[in-house]
Amino acid sequence: MKAIASMSLGELAAFVCSHLQTHGINCVLTGGACVSIYTGNRYQSYDLDFIESAPTSRKKLKEALTKLGFVEENRYFKHVATEFFLEFPAGPLSIGSEPVRATAVMEFSTGKLVLLSPTDCVKDRLAAYYHWSDRQALGQALLVAENNEINIEEIRVWSEKEDKLATFESIKKQLIEAQRHY
Amino acid sequence: MLEALFGSVNRERVLMFLFVRKEGYSREISRFFKTDLSQVQKQLERLEAGGVIYSRSMGKTRVYGLNPRYPFLAQLQGLLDRALLFYPPEEKEKLTMVRKRPRRRGKPL
Repeated sequence: MKAIASMSLGELAAFVCSHLQTHGINCVLTGGACVSIYTGNRYQSYDLDFIESAPTSRKKLKEALTKLGFVEENRYFKHVATEFFLEFPAGPLSIGSEPVRATAVMEFSTGKLVLLSPTDCVKDRLAAYYHWSDRQALGQALLVAENNEINIEEIRVWSEKEDKLATFESIKKQLIEAQRHY
Repeated sequence: MLEALFGSVNRERVLMFLFVRKEGYSREISRFFKTDLSQVQKQLERLEAGGVIYSRSMGKTRVYGLNPRYPFLAQLQGLLDRALLFYPPEEKEKLTMVRKRPRRRGKPL
């Protein structure tokens, strides 16, 4: 098994995800780490946000991660051998008011990683743009769209549910243009 | 009023304040309700960790608000809105009647 110190973000995420699964903790990678993975690290994140599919006690989570050498510091789990750190934000797994129904699975030499699909990853970033006017998040959404197949119609429907249809229409051209590069 | 549901009177106060005023900081909330600052801070921390509220820094102050990305936001707002109907009129007025529009510096009252 590859040492944690030499694992890429994706490899570490898969390693942690598979390890937790063997302890009965099912979780999904979300947030900026998904952008890193889907863009071949054109955007680099150090924060691995996992959301548990069902609530787990913090004690059980801590016990499982301690076996890998992670140490809890405030709300994060850190490891001496890597700059990447883990966070387990409160669930449920959702993007805005919509539950995430289907996730993606990626295989790494270190294990299986369950993560947001590219379309949901774009929605997740757009949610930050819609609600916080975060242009960096819009840039990340476009990067994901440039590097992966996404469902723009699904994003339109979701944006409408989020009451952000007008904002979606204002960036739709950029999303279509980004998909052309894929 | 929603204490039984939220588990603490201060948690209800924090949520109600942020629902009505849109944003607020810990000292402002504790002063408004004449309650212990550390209790308000504790509730703010818990609610933020649970994704119910967000925080951002504004100068030296940490400002909080209901998280627009919280999946149960509409339901929570509905509940708070309903509860507000039952608040004593004077408390409701104190909460809601706050000047929000700008006032130029130095303008006489």
